[in-house]
Amino acid sequence: MAFSLSGWAHAETIKIGINAELTGDIPKVGEGTKFAAQMWLEDVKAAGGLAVGKKKYAVELVLEDNESKAESAVKVATKMITEDGVLVMVGPQASKQAIPAGGIANNYKTVMISPWSTNPDTTKDRPYVFRACFLDPFQGPVVANFISTEFKFTKAAVLYDVASDYPKGLAEFFKKAWEGKHGKGSVVAYESFTTKDTDFSSQLTKIINSGAQVLFTPQYYNEVALIVQQAHQLGWKKPIVGSDSWGSAETVKLCGKDCYGTFFSTHYAAAGATGATKAFIDRYKAKYGYVPDDVAALTWDSMLLVQQAIQNTGGLTGDLKKDRENVRTAMSQIKKFKGITGEMTFSGGGDPVKCAVIVKISDAGEFTFYKSVCP
Amino acid sequence: MLKKPVLIPNAILYVVLVYGLPMGVTTRSSISLTNRLAGRLIRFPIAITVAVHLALLYTTLHLWAGISDYRTLVLKLTLIAVMLTLSLNVINGYMGEFSCSHPGFMALGAYCASVFTVGLFVDDQFFGAVFLPPALGPFLFPVALILGGFLASFGALFVAIPSFRTRGDYLAIISLAFLFIVKSLIENLEFVRGPRGLSGQPDWADLPTVFLWTVLCVWSINNFVRSTLGKALNAVRDNEMAASAMTVDTRRTKIVAFLFAAFWAGVAGGLFAHVLRYVNPSTFSIQNLAEVLAMVYFGGLNSVYGSIVGAVSISLLGEALRPLEIFKWIIIPLLLILVMIFRPTGLIAFKDLDVTSLLRPKQNPDGEV
Repeated sequence: MAFSLSGWAHAETIKIGINAELTGDIPKVGEGTKFAAQMWLEDVKAAGGLAVGKKKYAVELVLEDNESKAESAVKVATKMITEDGVLVMVGPQASKQAIPAGGIANNYKTVMISPWSTNPDTTKDRPYVFRACFLDPFQGPVVANFISTEFKFTKAAVLYDVASDYPKGLAEFFKKAWEGKHGKGSVVAYESFTTKDTDFSSQLTKIINSGAQVLFTPQYYNEVALIVQQAHQLGWKKPIVGSDSWGSAETVKLCGKDCYGTFFSTHYAAAGATGATKAFIDRYKAKYGYVPDDVAALTWDSMLLVQQAIQNTGGLTGDLKKDRENVRTAMSQIKKFKGITGEMTFSGGGDPVKCAVIVKISDAGEFTFYKSVCP
Repeated sequence: MLKKPVLIPNAILYVVLVYGLPMGVTTRSSISLTNRLAGRLIRFPIAITVAVHLALLYTTLHLWAGISDYRTLVLKLTLIAVMLTLSLNVINGYMGEFSCSHPGFMALGAYCASVFTVGLFVDDQFFGAVFLPPALGPFLFPVALILGGFLASFGALFVAIPSFRTRGDYLAIISLAFLFIVKSLIENLEFVRGPRGLSGQPDWADLPTVFLWTVLCVWSINNFVRSTLGKALNAVRDNEMAASAMTVDTRRTKIVAFLFAAFWAGVAGGLFAHVLRYVNPSTFSIQNLAEVLAMVYFGGLNSVYGSIVGAVSISLLGEALRPLEIFKWIIIPLLLILVMIFRPTGLIAFKDLDVTSLLRPKQNPDGEV
C-alpha cells in the first residue's frame, strides 16, 4: 500500500535518492557525490525538467547521509524506497555500505546504481543493482599487466589493509594475476596492516629487504600519503603503484612531493582530459574550487545513466512499482553509453564493460593520463 | 547546509499535533476506564496480566510500524539497542566496572548465529548446499541465537578470568583488547569471508521475533538484578571487602554477571545480523561501543528503566534529527553533556523495575503514585 500511495502522490515529480557518505570515515567521497549530483540537478532544472516520453517531469534529489556505516546505509535505503518513494537510488559509494544497501534495493525491486563500489558482491545475483565502475577482478590483472609490460619487473611487493574489504580483495586479485604471469613466489613480500594504523615501518622494512622491484599498495588516500612518505624515508627508490582508491583530490595534498612519479590505475584522468570530460572538470572546478576526483566523475556518469534509463522507458506510468521495473529493464539494455569515465555497455548483469586508465602523478602534482588499458 | 531549516519547527508542530495531542487527550480521558480495567486485570495471576499488557504493547508497535518498512527497521534496531544497553548496564551499572568489549560479544553472537543459519539453510559457496529443509529454519533460529549467546559468554570467560582477580581499571583495558582481538580474528578468518563480510542470512528476524527476544531479555535481566545474586553484585560494587566479609563470593558473582551480560549481547548480535542480513567486522568497532556506552550513561546506571529510555531515546533522536545532517552530531553529544552535568548518573538511575507496581491501578489518577 505504501508503494501505491507514494507513487500516486508524486506522479509529477521524479525523485532520485542519493545515499552518500557525508559524515564518517570518508567525508570527501560523500562531498564529491553530493556536488556531482547537484550539478546534474542544475542541468535538469535549466532544461525545465526531465523529458520522459512526451511529458516533462520536475526532478527532486533525496539526499541522505549514511554515516559510512552499514546499518545506517540500510536504514537510509529503506527510508528512501519505502517512505520517500524514490524511483532510483544512486549510491552508496563504498562496498561496505553498498553491499547491504544493494540487498535492500533488490528486495524492494528498485534500481540502485553504485558509482564507486568495486566489490563483486554488490551486484552479484541482484538484477536491480548496477554500478558505474569496473571490478576488482578486472583491475588487479590490469595493474599486473601494466607493471610487467612497462617496467619488465618480475618481483613485486604488496602492502594492504587486511581489515578493509576493498584493498584486501584487490591485493588478492593482483597477487593471483602476478603469480600467474611470473610464477609462484614472484610476489616476494605480501604484507598487511589494519585500518587506522599509521606506522608502516616494520612492513616496509620487510618489503625493502625482500628484493622487490615494485610496491603495489591499493589503499585509500589518507593511508597512501603515509605509506609513500615512510617508504621514501626508509630508502625505497623503486616505483610505487596504486589503484583507483588513490584518485582522490586529497592524495597529492596530503602526500606532497613524495607521490610525484607514482602510478595508479583508475577510471579517468583529470589532467589532459578532452571533450565532455574537460567540460565537466572545468565546471566542477569553477563551482567548488578543486579538480573533481573519480567519485565525482563516476557519480556524474551514474546520474546520466539514470537519466538515460528513465528516458529510455519511453514514458512513466505513474505507478512507482511499474516504473521501477521499466527503469531496470531500460538500464540493463544501455549500450555504448558515452560517459566521462569512458564508454560503458551493460550486457546482462549490473557490471559495465569499460576500460581502465593508468595515471601518473606528474611533477606538478597533477593526475596525468598515461595509458588506457581495455579488457 | 540545511536543506530547509523552516521545516524543523513545522516538523515539531506536526509531531505535537498528530501524535502528542491526540495521545494526551486519549490518555487523559481514558484514565478512569483503564484504571478500572487494570484493577480488574491485577486480580488474575500476574503472568496473564503481563501477557495482556505485552500483547497490547506489541499491537501498538505493530500498527505503528505497519505504515512503512522503514519504521519496522528502525523499531527492530531500537529493540536490539535496548537489549545491548541493558546487558551492558549489568556490567557498567550494577557491577560498577567499566567494560569495553560489548561490540566484541555482539560480533561473536552475530557471526556464530550467521554461520549456523547460512551454513545449514542457505545454498552458498562457502558452506555448501542446503543442509536442512528451510521449513525447519524459523524453529531452529532460537537455537542459532542461543548458540551465539553461548559463544559470546565463552569469549567473556577470557576477559573475566584474568581481570576479576583484582579490582580497578584492568577490566576496561582487557575488554578493550578483547574487542580488538575479536575484530582481527574475524578479519583474518577466511571461511567467514574476512573483512568482506558475511551476507545472505535468511530473513527470520521479523518484528514479533525481535520483540519476543527483547521481552525475554528485559525479563531475565530484571529478574537477575533483583535476585540475591543481583543484590550481591551491588554489594560488590559498593564495597568489595565488606561484601566478601558478608560471605559473598565476589569473584564468582562478578564472573556470573559478566557472562550473563555477554550472553545477551551475543543474542542481540545474532538478531542484528539477521535484521541487516549482512555483517562485517568493521561494524563492531569503537564507534559502536561509543553508541552503546552513550545509551547506558544517558539512560541511567543501575536501572532497567534507564536502559530502555536511553536506548530508545538515542536511537529515535538519531533518526528524527536526520534532516539536520551534520548538526545531528552536535546536538546529540550536547544533550549527553547536559545530562552528565545535571544528572551525572543518567536520566533514570538506581530505580528498580517492579512489574506489579507498574501494572497496578494508580491511586491518584492526576499525578504520580
